[in-house]
Amino acid sequence: MTWSLLASLLMLGVGAGCQRSARQAEGAPLTIGVAFETLQTEFWVASIEAFRAEAKARGITLLEAIADGDANRQLEQIKNFISRRVDGIIAVPKDAQTIIPMIRAAHQAQIPMVLYNRPPDPSDAPSITVVADNYSLTKATVSYMAEQALQTGELHPAMILIGDLGDINAIGRRDGFEDAIRPHTNLIQVVSRIPTEWNLEKAQAGVVNALQAHPGIRFIFTSSDFLLPAIVSALKSTGRYHKIGQPGHIILGGFDGDATAYRMLEEGYLDATGVQDVQFEVVSSIQAILDSRAGKPVAAVIKDPGFVIHQGNLKEMASRMWGAGIARQRRP
Amino acid sequence: MKGAWLRRQGRRALASEYLVLALSVAYFLVLLPWLPELAHPRNLANLFSRMLPLLLVAMGQTFVLIAGGIDLSVTAVIGLTSVLGASLMTADGGWMAGHAAAVPAGIALMLLTGALLGAANGAAVTGLRMPPFMVTLTSMMFLGGLAVWLTQSQRITGLPPAFLALGGKPACAFGLTLGAALFAHLLLSRSLFGRWLYAIGHNPRVAAISGVPVPTVTLAAYVLSGISGACAAILFTGRLETGSPVHGREILLDVIGATVIGGTSLFGGKGKILWTLYGVLFLTLVDASLNLMFLSDFAIRMVKGALILLAALIDALRHRYETA
Repeated sequence: MTWSLLASLLMLGVGAGCQRSARQAEGAPLTIGVAFETLQTEFWVASIEAFRAEAKARGITLLEAIADGDANRQLEQIKNFISRRVDGIIAVPKDAQTIIPMIRAAHQAQIPMVLYNRPPDPSDAPSITVVADNYSLTKATVSYMAEQALQTGELHPAMILIGDLGDINAIGRRDGFEDAIRPHTNLIQVVSRIPTEWNLEKAQAGVVNALQAHPGIRFIFTSSDFLLPAIVSALKSTGRYHKIGQPGHIILGGFDGDATAYRMLEEGYLDATGVQDVQFEVVSSIQAILDSRAGKPVAAVIKDPGFVIHQGNLKEMASRMWGAGIARQRRP
Repeated sequence: MKGAWLRRQGRRALASEYLVLALSVAYFLVLLPWLPELAHPRNLANLFSRMLPLLLVAMGQTFVLIAGGIDLSVTAVIGLTSVLGASLMTADGGWMAGHAAAVPAGIALMLLTGALLGAANGAAVTGLRMPPFMVTLTSMMFLGGLAVWLTQSQRITGLPPAFLALGGKPACAFGLTLGAALFAHLLLSRSLFGRWLYAIGHNPRVAAISGVPVPTVTLAAYVLSGISGACAAILFTGRLETGSPVHGREILLDVIGATVIGGTSLFGGKGKILWTLYGVLFLTLVDASLNLMFLSDFAIRMVKGALILLAALIDALRHRYETA
C-alpha cells in the first residue's frame, strides 16, 4: 500500500514535469537563463541589471544563477537551465576552457548559448560571443596616455596591472598595452608587470612592492577599473597621488568604465579609461538568442568597440559611460 | 506513557540506519508538487552525476572519521593531483604528450600522489602524534598553494579524449564510482582491516592492547582518503576538460557534511559506506532542489550549513544515548 502510494506520487511528479515542459513549448513567454561567474565587481552588477531591464522591456523571463567562481557549480547551473528547457542561455564563463563542455551540452539540447564578455577557447563547440574589443580599446586608451607622456618629453617608467592570465580578456588588454607602448620605448619603459588574478589584495601588494622597487614610476595602466582603489591606496600611502597638472602627477589609465573611474576622471586624477558599452553587449546578447531561435544567421563573435573616455571628451561621453550613472546615483 | 512511547519511537528513528534515506525520499516527494522538474529524467541524471565526485571523496572521509580522525586536506589533494596528472598527459608539452601510455600513466600518477599525500598526513598523525585537524588543515594550505604555484594559476588543457571520457561520460564516471564504492564497502564491512578500524575508532588504547596495529591502520585510512581525492580529481578534470589547481575547492564542507548526515560519527568508531551514500544523496538532493529554485549561492550555503549543523547535533545526541 505504502509503496504503491509512493510510486503513484513519483509518477505524478514525472508526469507533471513532462507537462510543464510541453507547456513551455506551446508559446509561453520566452525564458532565458543567465549564468554569471560572479557579481564581485560593479561591471557585472551593472550588466545583470541591464539584462533584467532589457528582458523586462521585451517580456522575457530571466532565470539567474551565480557560480561564485566555481566552475563545477557553473556546469551544474547550466545543466539546470538545460533541464528546465530554457529558450536560451547567456553565460559569463568562469574559465575559457571549462565553459566548452557546457557549450556542448547546450548545443546538444538545441538551446542557443551566448557567452557574455568572455570568449571561450577555440574548440568545435559552436557558440556566440559578445565581447569588447579588448586589444583595440586598450591600445587606444594607452595610446592616449602615451601622448600625455610624450608631451612632457621626459622618461616615464611604467607599470601595468594584468588580470587573470587564464582570462583571454586580460591577455587582450595586456597585448594592447604592450603594442601601444612599443613605439615609445625611448620615453615609456615598462619596469613592472603585476599579475593580479583579478584580486584586489594581490593588486595592492603588487603595486606597493613595485613603487618601492621603482620609486620613479610615472605611468600606470590597470586592466580593470575595479583595481583602481588598490592603486590609489598605494599612491596615497607614498604621497604620490596628485591631480593632472600638479607636480608629480602619475599618468593613470584603466579599462571598464566603472563608477570609481568616473569619479576619478571628474576629480582630475585619472587620465583615461577604456569603456565597455554594457548596453550594447546586453542588447546584442539577447538579440543573438532571438535571432538564433528564428534561424537567422548570427556572427560567432559580436565585438563591442567601446570607446575611450578621457579628460578631453569627458562631458560628451559621460552619458554613455555605465559607471557614470552609478556614480551619480551614489552622490548624496 | 504516551510521552515515553514517543521518546522511544524518536530514539528508534534517530538510531535507524535508513533515517537519511527516508528523509531523502520524503523531501523529494514533498517538493514535487512545487518543483515538478525535480523528477524530470534529465534532472535525475544531473543529480546522480553531481553525486559521484562527492561520494568518492566522502567515502575516503568515512574511513578517516571512523578511525577517529578528520581529513581537511582532501580538496587540496583534488587540485594538486588534477594538475600533476594533467601536466603529464597534456598534448601541450606534457611529460608524456602523445604517448600511448599517457592516460594510464597519468591516472597512476594521480592515484599514487593521492596515496602519498594521504600517507604524509597519516604519518604526521600517527608518528608525530599531531592532531588530525591541525595536520590536515596545514596540508590543505600547503598543497593548495603548491598546486597554484606549479601552474602559476593557469589551467592545463589539451587532455587526451580517453581520459576526458572517464569524468565526462556519465557511464564511465558511474562505473568508476561504483567500483570504488563496492571496494570500500567490502573493505570496511568484510575485512579484518575494517574491524580494526572500528576498534580504533571506539578506543585506540584498548585496540592497541588487543593487538590491533593502530598506527598502520590509521595511516592506511588517510591513504584511502588521499586516493579517494585523486579519484574525484579524475572526475572533475574529465568533466571540465581541464587540469586546475582549484578543482573541488568548494566541496570540503559538503564532504564532511554528507558523511556526518549519513550517520558516520565525528566521535569515531561508527560509519558505513551505505550511510555515506545516503548522506551524499540527501545533501545533493537539497543542493539540486535549491539550485532549481535559483536561490542565490549564499542562501544555499546557509541552508546546507544549517542541515550539517543539525546532523552534527543528532550525531552528538546519538553518541550521548549510546554511551549513557
